[in-house]
Amino acid sequence: MASDGGKKQFWKRNASRVPGSIQHVYGAQHPPFDPLLHGNLKQGTKPPATPVKTKKVSTFQEFESNTSDAWDVGEDDDELLAMATESLNTDVVMETANRVIQNHSKLQEQHKLQEEQTEREQPQKISDLPSAACGDNRLVKSVSETNASSSADNANANTSVPRSQSLPQASTYTLTGGVADNASGGHVLSEREALRLDKFKQLLAGPNTNLEELRKLSWSGIPKPVRPITWKLLSGYLPANIDRREGTLQRKRKEYFAFVEHYYDSRNEETHQDTYRQIHIDIPRMSPEALILQSKVTEIFERILFIWAIRHPASGYVQGINDLVTPFLVVFTSEYTEEDLENFDVSSLSTEVLQNIEADSFWCMSKLLDGIQDNYTFAQPGIQKKVTMLEELVSRIDEQVHKHIEQHEVKYLQFAFRWMNNLLMREVPLQCTIRLWDTYQSEPEGFSHFHLYVCAAFLVRWKKEILEEKDFQELLIFLQNLPTMHWGNEDISVLLAEAYRLKFAFADAPNHYKR
Amino acid sequence: MRGKDDEYDYLFKIVLIGDSGVGKSNLLSRFTRNEFNLESKSTIGVEFATRSIQVDNKTVKAQIWDTAGQERYRAITSAYYRGAVGALLVYDIAKYLTYENAERWLKELQDHADANIVIMLVGNKSDLRHLRAVPTDEAKSFAEKNGLSFIETSALDSTNVETAFHNILAEIYRIVSQRQLAGGQPEAEFSHGTTIEPIKVLPTHQEGRQAPCCQNI
Repeated sequence: MASDGGKKQFWKRNASRVPGSIQHVYGAQHPPFDPLLHGNLKQGTKPPATPVKTKKVSTFQEFESNTSDAWDVGEDDDELLAMATESLNTDVVMETANRVIQNHSKLQEQHKLQEEQTEREQPQKISDLPSAACGDNRLVKSVSETNASSSADNANANTSVPRSQSLPQASTYTLTGGVADNASGGHVLSEREALRLDKFKQLLAGPNTNLEELRKLSWSGIPKPVRPITWKLLSGYLPANIDRREGTLQRKRKEYFAFVEHYYDSRNEETHQDTYRQIHIDIPRMSPEALILQSKVTEIFERILFIWAIRHPASGYVQGINDLVTPFLVVFTSEYTEEDLENFDVSSLSTEVLQNIEADSFWCMSKLLDGIQDNYTFAQPGIQKKVTMLEELVSRIDEQVHKHIEQHEVKYLQFAFRWMNNLLMREVPLQCTIRLWDTYQSEPEGFSHFHLYVCAAFLVRWKKEILEEKDFQELLIFLQNLPTMHWGNEDISVLLAEAYRLKFAFADAPNHYKR
Repeated sequence: MRGKDDEYDYLFKIVLIGDSGVGKSNLLSRFTRNEFNLESKSTIGVEFATRSIQVDNKTVKAQIWDTAGQERYRAITSAYYRGAVGALLVYDIAKYLTYENAERWLKELQDHADANIVIMLVGNKSDLRHLRAVPTDEAKSFAEKNGLSFIETSALDSTNVETAFHNILAEIYRIVSQRQLAGGQPEAEFSHGTTIEPIKVLPTHQEGRQAPCCQNI
C-alpha cells in the first residue's frame, strides 16, 4: 500500500502540505501590497513568546498552540519553517509519531473490517478490474512484487487480485460501483456510499483532520456533499485544525478582496489592458454548461484571473488558465444549493456568499497553479517538457501505439499540448474533470506528475481507434477530437486506476521509463 | 468524412493566424464542416482540419492549421508556419486593434514562414455592419501595399467564406502549376528559403491514399 508509510511520511508530508506551508511561487514576484495586510505578518514573525530551545515542549498540543498562529501568517516566509523545525525536539516528534501510528492502526482495523464486509458482498466485481495490464509481464511482476512486500497487513483480504491492492485503499468502491458519482445526494445512498460519506464526515469533524487519511479516502472520489470542504483541505487552503478553519477563511477572504481593491482598477491602464482584454474575450466563450455566462459569474472570473495574472507576472494570464477556475467555482457553489447547477441562477445567492465562493476559488486555483506555473511562462517550458516525457512514457508502455503515431508523422505536441495546458479539461466533460481533481488533489504533485501518467493512460485507452486510423490527417483529427462526450465517472475511475498502475511501475524505475 | 477525401492531386498546407477572438476557428469550421458556433472555445495551441475542393478539374486538399491568437502561444504556433504555402491573416472588422496588429502578424510570417507563402488578408465579422471600425478601403489599400490579396467574410452568415478559401487555394494552385510548366521541378522551386524545408506539392501519380506531405514540422 503506497500510503502506508504513516510513520515515515507524516512529518515530511506535513512540512510541505500543511496549510500555511511555505512554498515558493516559481518565477513570480509578488508586487508589494497593502501594508494593512502585513499587520498580521509582523506579529507572526516576532519570536514566539515561548523561547524555542530553553523551554522543553513536551506535547504536540503544546507545540501546536505555541506555533499555530505562525501557520496563519502566510506562505512566503522561510523564517517560519526554520522556526518550526527548530522547535521540534525529538521527544515531540516521537510522541506524535507514536500517536499517529496508534490512530492509524486503529483506523486500519476499522477499515479492514469494513473492507472485508464489502468484499464478502462483492467478491465478483473486484476481479472485473481492467485487465489491460496483462499484456506486459514485466509490469505485472513489478506491481505484484511490491505489493507482496508492502501489503502484508492486508494479505488476508483478497490475495487473488494483486492489482486492486496496488491502488490506494477503497478505490475498489469506485471501480466496482462508481460511488463518487452517485453519492451526490438527490437519491437514496446505497449502504456503501453512506458508509463512505460517514468516513469522510468522521475525518472532517475531528479536531485535527488527518490529511493523510483524507487523501487516501479521497483518491477514489469524494462524495458530493463533502467535496467543497475536502478540496479546501487537500489543496492546503484550509488548516487541518478545525478550530482554525473559520479564522483562516475570514482572513484569506479579506486578503483577496484587499487585492481586488488594490489592483482591479488598474485593468484599464495601459500596462495591464492587454491582460484584461484577453480575459474579457475568453470568458464568454467558456463552457456554457458551467453557469459562466451569467454576468455575475463572468465578473467573478474576470476578477480572479486578473488578480492572479497581475500577481504572477512571470506567466501572466495564458488562455486555458481560465478553464482551471471552473471546477473550483462549480464545486464551491454547489455548497450553497441543492439545485442542478446548470439551471442555477447565481443571483439567488447573497453577495456575501458569492464573495466567499470567489475568494475560495481564487486561493485554491492559486495553489493549483503554484505547482504548474512553468506550464505558462514564456515558451511554456513545463508543457514542452511534459509532452516529451509523455512521448517517452508511451513509447515504453505501448510501443505499437507509439510507432503508429510516429509512422504517421503526428507529433505529440500537436494533440497533447492542450492536454497539458488545460489539464484534460477540454478532452472530458466537466463532471469528469471534477472527479479527476479529487484524485489529483490526493496525489503528491497530482496536477503535474500524476497528470502525466493519466495522459499516458488516456492516450493508450484509444489504442484500437488509433491503430485503425491510417493516415496523418485522420489520425490527428481523431486525436484532437476524442469521443468522450458521454464519459462518466466510471471511465475516469478506470483511467485513474490504469494511471496509478503506470506510475507504480515507472515512477521509481528510471530504467523502465528511459529507453 | 473518410473515403472521399482520400484521393487528391494537390495537398496544400494553410495556416489561420490573427488576434484572439477574430473568428479564425469559426472560419475553419464554416469552411470544413459548415458549422458556426457563437460560443466556440478559445483555441489552445493548434487545431487541425481538412477539406478538398476542385480547382481546374483537379482535387486540391487543404490541410488547415488553426492557431491560438494569444501572444504567449507564438513560440508554439510559429512552428506550424513551416511548410505552409498559404496563410489567412484574419482581423475583426469591428475591432480596429485587431486590424492594426496585422502588421505584427505579417512580421511573424516573414520571420517564420516560407518567403513565397501566399497571404490573404481577411476582414471577418462583416455581418456586424453597425459596429464596423475598419473601413474596407483602408484595409484594401493596406493589402495592396503589402502584396496581399484581400476579402471580407462573415463566418456567421457564411458570406465569402467559401470564396476566401477557394481563392487562396486557386492562387496557390496557379503558382504551383505554372512552376511545374516552366521548371519541371515543382517541389524544389516553390520555396527558396534557407531554413525552410522544400514544400512538396506533387501531383498524384499513384492511386489511393497519399503519404502526408506538407505537415512535416
